[in-house]
Amino acid sequence: MTFDLVVQQLANGLIVGSFYALIALGYSMVFGVIKLLNFAHGDIYMTGAFVGLVVFSAVGVWLGNGWLAVVCALLASMLVVGLLGVIIERFAYRPVRNAPRLSILITALGASMVLNGGALALTGGRHFAFNTDLGYSGIDISAVHITYTQMILVASALILMGGMQTFISRTMYGKAMRAVSIDMGASRLMGIDVDRVIALTFFMGSALAAGGGVMAGAYYGSVHFFMGFIMGLKAFTAAVIGGIGSVPGAMLGGLLLGLLESFGSSLPFVGSEWRDVFVFGALILFLVFKPTGILGRSVVERV
Amino acid sequence: MSDEAKAAPALPPPAVMSRSVVALGVVALICTLALPQVSNAYVTEVATTALLYVVLCLGLNIVVGYAGLLDLGYAAFFAVGAYTTGILTAEFGFNFWLTIPVAMVAACIAGIIIGTPTLRLRSDYLAIVTLGFGEIVRIIARNLDITGGASGLVGIERPVLFGFRLFQVQHFYYAFLVLALITIFVCLSVERSRIGRAWLYVRYDEDAAAGIGINRVSVKLQAYMMGAVIASVAGCLYAAKMTAISPESFTFAQSLIILLGVVLGGMGRIPGVILGAVLVALLPEVLRGAGTYRPLVTAVALLAIMLFRPSGLWPDKRV
Amino acid sequence: MVASFRKLACATALASLAMTSLAAAADIKLGIVAPMTGQLASEGQDLENAVKMAIDAANANGGVNGDKITTVTADDACDPQQGVTAASKLVSEGVTAVLGGYCSGAVLPTLKIYGDAGIPFVIISANSTKLVDSNPGNAFMTNSTGDMQAVTAVGLFKKNGYKKIAIIDEGDAYSSDLAKLTAEAFPKEGGEVVDKETTTAGEQDYSAVVTKVKSSGADAVFWTAYHAGGALLTKQLRQAGFQGGIVLGDGNNSPEYLQIAGSAGEGVYLLSPPTVDLLSGAADFKEKYKAAYGRDAGAYAALSHDAGNLILDAIGRAKSTDAKAIIEALAASDYKGLAGEIRFTDKHTLQTSNFRPVVAKDGKWVAAE
Repeated sequence: MTFDLVVQQLANGLIVGSFYALIALGYSMVFGVIKLLNFAHGDIYMTGAFVGLVVFSAVGVWLGNGWLAVVCALLASMLVVGLLGVIIERFAYRPVRNAPRLSILITALGASMVLNGGALALTGGRHFAFNTDLGYSGIDISAVHITYTQMILVASALILMGGMQTFISRTMYGKAMRAVSIDMGASRLMGIDVDRVIALTFFMGSALAAGGGVMAGAYYGSVHFFMGFIMGLKAFTAAVIGGIGSVPGAMLGGLLLGLLESFGSSLPFVGSEWRDVFVFGALILFLVFKPTGILGRSVVERV
Repeated sequence: MSDEAKAAPALPPPAVMSRSVVALGVVALICTLALPQVSNAYVTEVATTALLYVVLCLGLNIVVGYAGLLDLGYAAFFAVGAYTTGILTAEFGFNFWLTIPVAMVAACIAGIIIGTPTLRLRSDYLAIVTLGFGEIVRIIARNLDITGGASGLVGIERPVLFGFRLFQVQHFYYAFLVLALITIFVCLSVERSRIGRAWLYVRYDEDAAAGIGINRVSVKLQAYMMGAVIASVAGCLYAAKMTAISPESFTFAQSLIILLGVVLGGMGRIPGVILGAVLVALLPEVLRGAGTYRPLVTAVALLAIMLFRPSGLWPDKRV
Repeated sequence: MVASFRKLACATALASLAMTSLAAAADIKLGIVAPMTGQLASEGQDLENAVKMAIDAANANGGVNGDKITTVTADDACDPQQGVTAASKLVSEGVTAVLGGYCSGAVLPTLKIYGDAGIPFVIISANSTKLVDSNPGNAFMTNSTGDMQAVTAVGLFKKNGYKKIAIIDEGDAYSSDLAKLTAEAFPKEGGEVVDKETTTAGEQDYSAVVTKVKSSGADAVFWTAYHAGGALLTKQLRQAGFQGGIVLGDGNNSPEYLQIAGSAGEGVYLLSPPTVDLLSGAADFKEKYKAAYGRDAGAYAALSHDAGNLILDAIGRAKSTDAKAIIEALAASDYKGLAGEIRFTDKHTLQTSNFRPVVAKDGKWVAAE
């Protein structure tokens, strides 16, 4: 592998890895507080991208198709989809929180299918262009071209994740979240409004996914109803690799998976048609041999 | 999970069935036997699909309904059966009937490989692992030469039974009917057996089950393998009926449809699962007019059942 | 127990909903099979419309051999299982011949059903080479097959002076088949395939593949899959500074491709099926279609219309509705339609390829010189 190729694949891995990390973070946070694998998370990412596109097209009339419009779309989508996350939790998850485990897993699956099916029905399965004029200008490292857009993208992802980490470790609400994730019953006895903390977690996790969705839509330039499925699976894999329930773990897992994928497909002896087998294989191996991931703490199934 | 939500496991009802249940069964059996004689090929075709889903849903019901394990990659075992028959008959000239035991063994092995390490995991991890496994099987089928790559296998031989070649819709209808009856019989007997009770205990309270000396992993593995074997036999017959199979028949969506059948009718109860299976088979025909709204309607149905009628359309009255 | 009986009754009622009563006997009944639901419903609707236009025109002129023609449509949803159901439905309704088939995967398992019933089957757009091999003798393909597209692609590479090609598919039957056929055909003409990649449908990031293609030193990229991935790939290739040619398979013929790819799509080649915009004689058809159905004729409308006329032509020459006579007449077809000439080889595929290379210019597809 030449130097250029290494630099290029490093850049590729970091970019796609930041998306994985943003989505993985939401998985991890929700898993942390209610120990639920939120199957709908990938579809929330997709919904975020669509909401972002609608806002982008609407404000584009006044703001043009540049950064300003993208940022507007990003913030609006994070707010709207964050609330959507709260609604999903309230109506699909809270009623079955105390029912057998299987029920909440199936309602999570149902919520995912409703979002996905709803998007299909509304869009007719069409692919929509998300045309920004962010341009391709940037800097060159040897023969590798890295655009400013790509740099801003990775930086924004890091800022969002850093903000989240600060919120969880420094604020009162963050403390409540951590308390609920350790022992829900005891937290309630200590006077913590558990339902509210869970709702807040869903808001933040969904907002992050929506942010990732808008950024992906604007960066890749297209949005469609099926975009959340693969992303959801990969982000889940990233969360597991990093250690589910751990915020730094989700970031680390996302970036690692991104790098694994980009370098993995440059290996001469495995064709790119096998790439997903390696990703899912890595997921299964991690779950079996190190279910706590790289940075996670052990989770005991509470019954 | 709070304590009050855990209902005490109900004991299986006495083996003596009431006369009305027997009567209902006989009437239903006569109707299903007579169906191809009184209707056209289209109706028979739809009914055959319904029987296929009855077998698949009953198989998944052992895993999800009895043992309480969420399996999101069940179509993988269906694929194992279909591809075993496809490869052995089309490439190696095997007799169809000989491929069934081979497929059962292959499904068992696949079940052990994926089940042994994962069944000790948390239930939601298991769901994702099975999903990943389902995808891996499909990608392997699409990438290998022996499985015909992405276009799949064509020209799978039709089975011959006592010199009679099965080739018409009606023939496969009866073949699937026999398979469905065998599956129902198997499910009825395991439900009342020692292992059936062990599943029930594991499903309601794993720790308590372990406390009374049930080996959780082994009990779950048995459910997983039994489900795998049933799906693989259904796959064999499916391959013979379709004569052409491709990876697209064994997607995540297929696993979801089977799961929907189990949940819709009532997890863990045979009549409920049969009803659910028939419903999911008829769904594409009934919802023809819904077009792109079909997945949404299906999804809302699943969510609504789970939230408002969690024990399904035809629930178990015992619990 | 009464409750259980009631539930059974409900289930039976639902079952009977699914049954279709046999339609009243007609002079000549033709079956149309196409995806009417699912993701390709719009393409299926197009196919049905275009076939029906041909039949309505014939009925207005007194039908064929003095008989009126009616149609019955069955939905295969581009799914093998539903395809089999649809085929059984048409066979039960006693159709004289069947037209249609959009997805090869859904058509493949139905060949045996029509074959056993001895019904003539004109496959309109499905074009996998596997269909050719499993044809029991009653099926005819009016779309050029993958190997013909590979020949057209190789011709285009040679004409543009591409010597090293990277081929990328999406792993499904259609695109991997075309990729394989092209990878076999190009070296025979002196070219070299320097890279072969597979992507996952629904994925957005192609950067790893783009990097590999760039470092392979390819003169051009041949994308054999569909427009959604094609548009993203084009954008990311150009963004990474790839200067070579980009050639797309016929699955990319969609306005969405040009919308999403934007300026990156300029100068990209496409192997197009005979769409109405490329056919000089189809202007009249295009207008009539829009007037009748309120939408633009899709990629395969011209071909579907030709297929409708082809079967009427064959029934006319057979002078009967006997299946064997119609099959013989179809095999002897020499029909000049909107999309070109239809003459069949002894394998019942087209003698001449109907793919045309087009190039994107100012956001539109124009014939490539």
